[in-house]
Amino acid sequence: MTAPLLSLRNLIISAGGRRLVDGVSLDLEAGRTLAVIGESGSGKSLTGLSLLGLLPDGLEVDPATRIAVDGRVLAPRDERGWRALRGRRIAMVFQDPMACLNPFMRVGEQIEETLRRAGIAAPAERRQRIVSGLAEVELPDPAALATRYPHQLSGGQQQRVMIAMALAGEPDLLVADEPTSALDASVQADIVALLARLQANRRLALLIITHDLAVAGALGHSIAVMQHGRIVETGPAAEVISRPRDPYTARLVGARRRLADVPAAQTMARPVAVTAEAVCVDYAARRLFGTSFRAVHGASLSLLAGRTVGLLGESGSGKSTLAATLAGLRAPSAGRIRLLGHVIEPGGRPLPGALRRRCQMVFQNPYGALNPRLTIGRALAEPLALAGVPASAQAARIVAGLHEVGLDADHAMRYPHQLSGGQRQRACIARALLCEPEVLICDEVISALDMTVKVQILDLLKRLQAERGFAMLFVGHDIEAVRWISDEVLVMHQGRIVERCRPEQLDLSAVRDPYTRRLLSARLMPEFDGAIVEKTGGEPRLHVATAADCLPAW
Amino acid sequence: MTNLLHRLAPLAFTLARMLAQAAGIVVIVFLLARLIPGDAVDVKGLEGDLTAAQQVELRHQLGLDRPVVEQLAGWSWRLLNGDFGASIRFGRPVSAMLATALPTTLLFTALSFSFALLLALGVAVSAVTTGHRGLRGLVDVLNVWSIALPTFCVGVVGILVFSIWLGWLPVLGSMVLPVIIIGIDSAGLIVKPLHEELREAATSAHVRTARAKGLAPSRIALRHLLPTAVPVMLALSGLVLTSLVAGTLTMEVLFGLPGVGSLLLNAIHGRDYPVIQAAILVIAIALVIINAATDLLHRLIDPRMTS
Amino acid sequence: MSLALPSEAGESVRRGLSPRTVIAALVLAAIVALALAAPLVAPFDPLDQDLLALNQPPGPEHWLGTDHMGRDVFSRLAMGARTTLMVGFGGALVAFVLGAGFGLVALSLGRVAETVMFALIDLVRAMPDVLLALLLIVALGAGAQPVVIALGVAFAPFFAYVARATFHREAVKDYVTAARLFGGGKLHVLRLHLAPNLVGGLVTQAAILLPRCVVTESVLSFLGLGSSPDEPTWGRMVADASRYIETSPHVILAPVIAIILLTLSLSILGEAVRRHLDPLRAAGEATL
Repeated sequence: MTAPLLSLRNLIISAGGRRLVDGVSLDLEAGRTLAVIGESGSGKSLTGLSLLGLLPDGLEVDPATRIAVDGRVLAPRDERGWRALRGRRIAMVFQDPMACLNPFMRVGEQIEETLRRAGIAAPAERRQRIVSGLAEVELPDPAALATRYPHQLSGGQQQRVMIAMALAGEPDLLVADEPTSALDASVQADIVALLARLQANRRLALLIITHDLAVAGALGHSIAVMQHGRIVETGPAAEVISRPRDPYTARLVGARRRLADVPAAQTMARPVAVTAEAVCVDYAARRLFGTSFRAVHGASLSLLAGRTVGLLGESGSGKSTLAATLAGLRAPSAGRIRLLGHVIEPGGRPLPGALRRRCQMVFQNPYGALNPRLTIGRALAEPLALAGVPASAQAARIVAGLHEVGLDADHAMRYPHQLSGGQRQRACIARALLCEPEVLICDEVISALDMTVKVQILDLLKRLQAERGFAMLFVGHDIEAVRWISDEVLVMHQGRIVERCRPEQLDLSAVRDPYTRRLLSARLMPEFDGAIVEKTGGEPRLHVATAADCLPAW
Repeated sequence: MTNLLHRLAPLAFTLARMLAQAAGIVVIVFLLARLIPGDAVDVKGLEGDLTAAQQVELRHQLGLDRPVVEQLAGWSWRLLNGDFGASIRFGRPVSAMLATALPTTLLFTALSFSFALLLALGVAVSAVTTGHRGLRGLVDVLNVWSIALPTFCVGVVGILVFSIWLGWLPVLGSMVLPVIIIGIDSAGLIVKPLHEELREAATSAHVRTARAKGLAPSRIALRHLLPTAVPVMLALSGLVLTSLVAGTLTMEVLFGLPGVGSLLLNAIHGRDYPVIQAAILVIAIALVIINAATDLLHRLIDPRMTS
Repeated sequence: MSLALPSEAGESVRRGLSPRTVIAALVLAAIVALALAAPLVAPFDPLDQDLLALNQPPGPEHWLGTDHMGRDVFSRLAMGARTTLMVGFGGALVAFVLGAGFGLVALSLGRVAETVMFALIDLVRAMPDVLLALLLIVALGAGAQPVVIALGVAFAPFFAYVARATFHREAVKDYVTAARLFGGGKLHVLRLHLAPNLVGGLVTQAAILLPRCVVTESVLSFLGLGSSPDEPTWGRMVADASRYIETSPHVILAPVIAIILLTLSLSILGEAVRRHLDPLRAAGEATL
């Protein structure tokens, strides 16, 4: 038995006396992939950084910590020692590729830096290696691409460049910290598949850090689950996902599993609250000589009382613009919207205040939706005061509203930053409901939240809708969540609604639109009941989309 | 074609803004000069060597009896041809007087500017790369120094210490002390934002990537850290130039340097309006041109701004 | 000279007032008290010339000595404090009212008016502030009032810019959108959401600009462009004494030290105000 490539024992990192990482131990072996999974604040990213000696200043590493590469112990702050390993033995890929690439250098030059660092002296060889490296990460026309600047590439291309750059020095260990989280869903799967192939072909030791159970399941031979700076469970990937032992892991898996079981959609026979007919929305040109940009092309939909329409799309698909237009926040450029009997048309009258209150919106970032200078109580009093509720009656209604969303009266005294993300989002929902809305528009309301909290908020919305009977538009990019909560699903792509179906039909066997098929086939799902076999290296358990998947089903 | 238009539009915009600002300054200077109670002829009249008839005649000669817009147009046209008129007090062409004074001021500002930029950059870069507490403290000391210590006060103390008590430098005419004083003052103005920007860049994702690649610190500083700070540095050098204007005025007066600042102040005390107008115009328009140039330089350096 | 570091001071402000801030406040209070009580405490008329006692060193009769015209330096310093404070603070006040007022009017009139009015400010800003102040003083003539106006006009753009930046930063926040959905009009949004941030931003800017106003005033009066010659100001005292710097340095050092004490204490207090009102801190965003 040889020493593992990298061995981490009892990693303890603290800031100002608070332990961020609390005794983590890991072994990484050649040709094996370990997935570290955890929610925000679990300490998983710091653990990854410590494997390259890249911990930010100001954090204290406990002297009991021992990191060994090839059996040789390195001090966590031994910059010189770590630098000798970085790029050549250990490389890293980060979350946001746009921010991680130097905007002032051509991507070829940036890869060349790694090559020169790896000791490749001949410029001709470096040039050839840049091209072959970019080809290895499956980028088209590598020679031309090498001369581009990062901002000229798409997010997926940037991340491929990052991977090519990390692998240029032929490292033995690749640490990838949330490599797909900043990317659109359809790109995510491609990057995951690429990482799996590269890991197998090069027999890399791969440490993948992620919050996504599906990514961990797809790439990891084994999985380590982190919570509050500790590893609470480790084991073979299939076993951890199918039979979690630790209660936290069980919650994490359970949350994902719940969304996989789609509840039966309800029939759509209910009174109509909102209709949109061939709505177009334009953004005016922002620059001299610029052209105006059409964000939404001829979108038609109806929201029914007590029912939910899910609007699914990637970033830039126009879904949030459409949502804001339906809420009367921006005027359509063409078409017409009928909101609770009032007609919104281009150049028409603005929505009267009393009517506007009956259509409410909940936003993606609950922190931005709450004024940081106001307590939750004062924030909730705002819609009441504007509706003319006398001050004496406000307190009771605020408390009732907080109870309704699962918060206490105490929360009214706190400021937004004193609440967790989930609590803030609950407060925003409570505030919207104080307007007694007949229409509720939820714009990516769970995107900024951790998995377990996501499911709680979805449950809450579903319960509130059943109790109050409002029509709901649920905008999101997460197929599972949208499908779970909706009674009808619309898929939006490049400003157009390309698919409309019942949630149970949102499946490769039923949908015909090519984009929707691409989206569905790119979806990563953990195999909850996969056969529990100890996998050997070089055999990623990934369902990789094939061209056949993307063809229509007829 | 449209692509070319898109690329040239910002360039044209910068140039158009520069011209608009220059034109605006010409108008402001002209109108404010008109606000002054009494015109050039009155000033001469006060000195008692003109009769009333002569005054009318002179006004006509100088065009002071024509409509304001016409005067402005005529004045601007003469400015474009490099004709700033003649000094009331000395009768010499103003352009000749400026030509004598400019070299001193140009040398002084160039030296102060370079010293300020080098000092600020040196302190900020070394504070960020070494993380040394003393250097970080120096950033703050320079900053407070520049906010709280007027240059002429420092100048007075400097003269007392270095010229009178120590006798190292002559009281008048030496550029050493003023350049150091203005350099420190201007460096203090920009060192803090520069330091903050560099510190932010040092913790930025792409510098972290460069570290993860195992690059040497010197290469990271040169290729990854400094380019990020270039836009800020350009913006800040505009600020330095602005502060140099005030510095030039006080230092030239205090240290007896025969530059544009001294020329301007003597003209103000002697109510020599053509010289005042010309000196202010030259300084202000030089700054407008330099600011436009830094803007273009920024577009040239940052690849994100050209495509 | 021992200057504590602002970063450290900032941390102690979070817990309370730092000793540095307290000292700065005391120095400023002393200068203000001197200015207010000047006619009572000044032993001599600041304009009285005692031709028998030129350039006297400090002594029991003339506490800080006399200048080249035999005028009592301490009396001139006390009376000069009045002018210096009045003109410096007055200039900042005019700049605040003018800049914030102009900026808010521009913002409330809609996009086109805002673009045009701020283009106008940009035009004025193309001139360095000292040059603009100087030009205005030349145009308006000597005296305290023109200097106040000149400082006000030269520094007003900063307040307008702050108003605009704060407005646009806040106007796109989701809580402002939410307020619109609750049926809140412009006035409601301004009162509940924008005003606290606007006031905070403008007061912070005032705290930063006040020392700069005082410095600029002293520079202008040093250049002989400030108030009229019979009103003593600290900058003018420095200019007057600079010709006798070799023979009687105490005459020049008194106003120099006074100016430095004033601007230093103002900037320390300004920094304390800035840290106290720091929108990031108030918002608690630092915890993220």
